[in-house]
Amino acid sequence: MGGQACVFYGAAQFSKDVDFLLLASEQNFSRLLAALSELKATRIAVPRFDPALLARGHAVHFRCHEGAAAGLRVDIMTQLRDLPGFEELWEKRTTINDENGETFDLMAIEHLVQAKKTQRDKDWPMIDALVEGHYHVFAEAPTPERTIFWLNESRTPERLISLCTRFPQQAIAQLAKRPLLALAQSGESDQLREALDIEMRAEQAKDRAYWAPLKVQLQAFRHDERRGADQDRA
Amino acid sequence: MTFEEMPDEWKEWLDLTPIERFRESEKLLAQYVALGGSLDPDPDPTSPFYDPETSSKGVAYGRPGLRILRRGAV
Repeated sequence: MGGQACVFYGAAQFSKDVDFLLLASEQNFSRLLAALSELKATRIAVPRFDPALLARGHAVHFRCHEGAAAGLRVDIMTQLRDLPGFEELWEKRTTINDENGETFDLMAIEHLVQAKKTQRDKDWPMIDALVEGHYHVFAEAPTPERTIFWLNESRTPERLISLCTRFPQQAIAQLAKRPLLALAQSGESDQLREALDIEMRAEQAKDRAYWAPLKVQLQAFRHDERRGADQDRA
Repeated sequence: MTFEEMPDEWKEWLDLTPIERFRESEKLLAQYVALGGSLDPDPDPTSPFYDPETSSKGVAYGRPGLRILRRGAV
């Protein structure tokens, strides 16, 4: 998931870290900690590694210090806002093999797009690029699922207007879910742009509300760790 | 931005296979690191993980050895 997945899907050119979504199980946590130990990874921010905190939606951040991975940051999560549980995410994943048979399991693009609907400004252009890249690849092979994905997730007024022209019945069927499609149907690009902006700000507000209690916890964890460090120095 | 409006560089990037993009990305990251690029996250006050006390202000052009000596008026 994250930036590396965006590279595979064509929406980014490189990422400075690796984000993993993990199935929360004791066996997986043991394997994760063994791998992190092999990479001499150290935690670089709050919170501490704790499955209970991961289950609440926190991310744990590490930096590797071994070999080719030295300096690389690794972020671990087990829960993402408004996304289904790990089993469904895994079931719908995209799997890519390279010429040596190495396998890369990526979050499905529809889930990655949802995961990118954050309060961070930098994530929104990534959504545009993910959806537009997907449309470029599959425009000549539309399926009901792909069409619904494009209609619900495209963030480019010109693309939305062309999609509503190309798939008028499917656009009508998605109106209840995404009312701004009515503006795309009537070709009102300026109003559509404003509606897309309002849609983005509403989603950012949802993300801020989701993170508000977690940020309070993060602040408390930072305070505790700094106080602990001060006591150690004293 | 629609695909048709994208710069040629991005169109070429999207026309690569996912594995080709991954390999090229590995090379780009290696070059970035070799040039002194930082692997720290860019300071982002809109991120829930942003900590103003520990987040750096970011180094000039991502290189720890570079400092901005003068800027234009804007």
